[in-house]
Amino acid sequence: MDYLAHLTLNTGIFIILAVSLNLINGICGQFSLGHAGFWAVGAYTGAAYGVFLAPEALPDFINLFISCGIGFVVAALSGLLIGVPCLRLRGDYLAIATLGFGEIIRILIMNMDVVGGPRGFTNIPNWSNLFWVYFWVVITIVFCANLLRGTHGRAIISIREDEIAADSMGIYTFKYKTLAFVIGAGFAGLAGSLFAHAQQFLHPNGFTFMWSVIILLMIILGGLGSITGAIVGAVILTILPEMLRFMGETVSQWRMVIYSILLICLMLWRPSGIFGKHEFNILKFFKKDEEATS
Amino acid sequence: MTTPILETQALTMRFGGLVAVNNFSMQMGDTDLVGVIGPNGAGKTTIFNMITGIYEPTEGDVRLSGKSLVGEQVALITQKGIARTFQNIRLFKDLTVLDNIRLAGHSRMKYGLIANILRTKKFHEEESRLKEEAIKLLKIFKLENKMDHLAKNLPYGEQRKLEIARALATKPKVLLLDEPAAGMNPNETADLTKLIKWVRDEFQIAILLIEHDMRLVMEVCERIYVVDHGELIAHGNPSEIQNNPKVIEAYLGAQSEEGEQ
Ligand SMILES: Nc1ncnc2c1ncn2[C@@H]1O[C@H](COP(=O)(O)OP(=O)(O)OP(=O)(O)O)[C@@H](O)[C@H]1O
Ligand SMILES: [Mg+2]
Repeated sequence: MDYLAHLTLNTGIFIILAVSLNLINGICGQFSLGHAGFWAVGAYTGAAYGVFLAPEALPDFINLFISCGIGFVVAALSGLLIGVPCLRLRGDYLAIATLGFGEIIRILIMNMDVVGGPRGFTNIPNWSNLFWVYFWVVITIVFCANLLRGTHGRAIISIREDEIAADSMGIYTFKYKTLAFVIGAGFAGLAGSLFAHAQQFLHPNGFTFMWSVIILLMIILGGLGSITGAIVGAVILTILPEMLRFMGETVSQWRMVIYSILLICLMLWRPSGIFGKHEFNILKFFKKDEEATS
Repeated sequence: MTTPILETQALTMRFGGLVAVNNFSMQMGDTDLVGVIGPNGAGKTTIFNMITGIYEPTEGDVRLSGKSLVGEQVALITQKGIARTFQNIRLFKDLTVLDNIRLAGHSRMKYGLIANILRTKKFHEEESRLKEEAIKLLKIFKLENKMDHLAKNLPYGEQRKLEIARALATKPKVLLLDEPAAGMNPNETADLTKLIKWVRDEFQIAILLIEHDMRLVMEVCERIYVVDHGELIAHGNPSEIQNNPKVIEAYLGAQSEEGEQ
């Protein structure tokens, strides 16, 4: 795959990761720092299906579909496992627990010989392509956008706005926090599976805490709570390091410093991110239109 | 006697060594309009928090139509028919006026997550029903032309009104209002006085009202419970309360801190 196609594909994967983290952190207002962990869970389970289980008779795209499904479900289940005990606690606990979760997953994988352990997981079938990645990008975006335009999505937003008030309106806040968390984790797992079948090689160190932070940066940059913002943030922070790379070795090494400066500038000029909590106007336009007719 | 719609039996709330509410018992009938008054820190809001399940009482019981609510989740208590407003307005500030009302109808929505995502026929039916109901309610409160405004952008008096409307949108049997007139000017308070009576008559619900504005309380409430330092010190109709020496003492004693409103 040539360089540009590869970059475009990666951008798509990060759009899914950012949009799904935005559901948890931006829309539901819970502070998760473990997105790389769910991504890794999806990547490794999806890849394991490809390497050990996939019937060769099936066409690639069906195998990819199954692999994505497995990545989604296993990541969602691990989200449920970590979410249920932690979501009852207040914000900081969830951040610490999810951070720990991400690291535990990485270390577990490091010690699992079947999936290559520290040598990395090789020979993963090459099923992903631009079409299927962007197919899932669209599904993820439509899923989230539609969710927000219904009562379940509104319930999720109300938790961010005021949890006690939401409870007092008869909304089971714990249930909806868990729902947002599990769906977010699931889509991260799906992104993992797409990623695995594009890279064809996985290494546990490719899923460090740093990546959770970068995905978080994407949604903060775009505007916490905005789907459009998450997309734009993902695009900027996937393409920017590549542009820096072209500027030479030294500039590239200063990547994180440049991110920090970017973030400080953002805090000064647009404290709530590029889009704030708003969506791109065309989306709003559609929404109004539809509501008028419904 | 018929079972009271809302009843508290010897409610007690302790925070460590502090007894915020002690042995508080009250009853109200289906369409009663009852007041709870008392100086600052008397324990009034704590009573509301126990009734709505935000605090679990240290001792005592809360009964709705004779059934105990203690230990139930806040959301379930609301669904069973107790709605409230908050002393410090707790609207969903960054959501529209319409969405604030719609959220109160959430628990009555009958479509599932899949229908939400796929936007099925049922989804559209339920959503348009919800929106219609919400608009009807907003019209009553004269907020329908501000439907698309963010709640935080409403003037203070309208925020208070929206909070009452939102509580009513949960279709309660009992409405708890925690200092609805706080921060309102005399005109707004006069409107509110009418509104509270009107809501009771129109919706045929019981209203329990915490309020510092004595004019309002004396005008709308049929019965009043007076608490001081967590203790119930008096109970009766407005004229009995106004002439009760214990009440006068509690208020005069606290007057210097509280001031007249
Ligand atoms: N969560 C809590 N933890 C500890 N103490 C509390 C808590 N909630 C209330 N209190 C205390 O309980 C007492 C009663 O408080 P409450 O808010 O019920 O008073 P109030 O009658 O509503 O007063 P106000 O008129 O000022 O609203 C106060 O001394 C308060 O500090
Ligand atoms: Mg109070």
